[in-house]
Amino acid sequence: MIELQNDSLVFRFPDVHKDAVLRIGFQRTLRIPDDDKKYPLPPGLGLFPLQHVDDFPNGVPELWTQHGGVMLPMYQSEALWINFSGDYPFAIKVAAGKINAVTGEDWTDGLHRDPQDYMVAPEQPWLDGFCVEKGLIRQFVAMPLGSGYSAEEQLTGKAEHGGLQIVAFPLRRKAYERIRKERGACIRRVGYAPAEEAAMMCLEDEAPGDFDMGLGAGGQMEQEIYDDSYGFDDWDLRHSSRCFVHLTNSMVWRAITGGDPPTVPPTSSEYSKAGLPWFDYYSDSKAVEGSEKLATVKSVAELGKEKGDVPLPENQSVKVENVIKLRKGLKEGQVREGAF
Amino acid sequence: MSQFGAFIRDRRERLRREDSRFSVRQLARRLGVEPSYLSKVERGETAPPSEAKILLLAKELNEDADVLLAMAGKVSSDLQEVIRKRPELFGQLIRELKDMPEHAVLRLVREVRDGGW
Repeated sequence: MIELQNDSLVFRFPDVHKDAVLRIGFQRTLRIPDDDKKYPLPPGLGLFPLQHVDDFPNGVPELWTQHGGVMLPMYQSEALWINFSGDYPFAIKVAAGKINAVTGEDWTDGLHRDPQDYMVAPEQPWLDGFCVEKGLIRQFVAMPLGSGYSAEEQLTGKAEHGGLQIVAFPLRRKAYERIRKERGACIRRVGYAPAEEAAMMCLEDEAPGDFDMGLGAGGQMEQEIYDDSYGFDDWDLRHSSRCFVHLTNSMVWRAITGGDPPTVPPTSSEYSKAGLPWFDYYSDSKAVEGSEKLATVKSVAELGKEKGDVPLPENQSVKVENVIKLRKGLKEGQVREGAF
Repeated sequence: MSQFGAFIRDRRERLRREDSRFSVRQLARRLGVEPSYLSKVERGETAPPSEAKILLLAKELNEDADVLLAMAGKVSSDLQEVIRKRPELFGQLIRELKDMPEHAVLRLVREVRDGGW
């Protein structure tokens, strides 16, 4: 069962265990430059607002009603990362335009171990993009579906689905009870927003029109997708919940809901110049290999150059100086004890 | 004296002990009614006022608007609209919920619907 609470999706499996609760939030973030550099993790700038598509039966396309799920508004000048929180272990599969973000394969409802097509929370605290190499992702950035930039369009040749698709499987009750005492602390990746600069920027940066947005591959970021350390049999494959998250631009959001989307976030350059922090996450866990299929997806800037198009008006490289290191198992501010 | 009138009088009098703006005269002025009319309402000598006036009264007395409307024998127009849109569904739902304990009603959640994709 999935509930929408405070702009987060809350997955609950009371039939499996009372603790089997997973929260998934969609964090707004800076669009990192789409250049040849590798960037650390950008901050969270607050949650994207979420609404049930069923609440707007007359405003959304028929296909959205058929898909069910929720919707969120996204500017092309921003990016998105997905935050997983909760203490109970979950296997989570994420796709964009029904293209698996870890393997690049087409969507299937089940789990696949070799190659691993899912992530494991809470070991995996977040996902920022498509896994193109071991330890490297390309950031999720929104582009109008049909413009040819999304990973879906590049891999399938069709602009059919758009949006994000998520399915979560809890750990079996017996497996959870066996391992519950071996757990580390949760990590928080905090957010900063230079509010004045953001408020000064123009809100109307997009034209209304097509409803659907698809996720393309943006700049490169250092992020590992961790190998599943549980036994594959520990996952409760009889219990799962899935959700279609539709993406739309800010103007269409306003037309559907009558409400304002959040203000435009700062650019990476403005954020860095303000001296605000980026993040680096360290864990001893083993990382999975990147997807060869996803590595063939051209980034938005690269494809734009080929098309003679300028899809990203603000894309200059950024010098990152203030990086906060987050380490798995350590609480914020806790001093690490080494070997001596 | 009606339950609605007595309740209004009791709340207003309590506030008036601390603040003279809650005299019948001053409160009636803010509500846009005659003091004699508010007095009659409090004594139950006339029917409770309109929904709009009850909403104003709830705001002035810092009381829950739905509770005041219910005491006046009314249901707020937004709730009526909700029920009118899906009368069969909400009729059935409310009847099923009527005997449930409050904690169970509060745990009533809305599921994110999964469709075909």
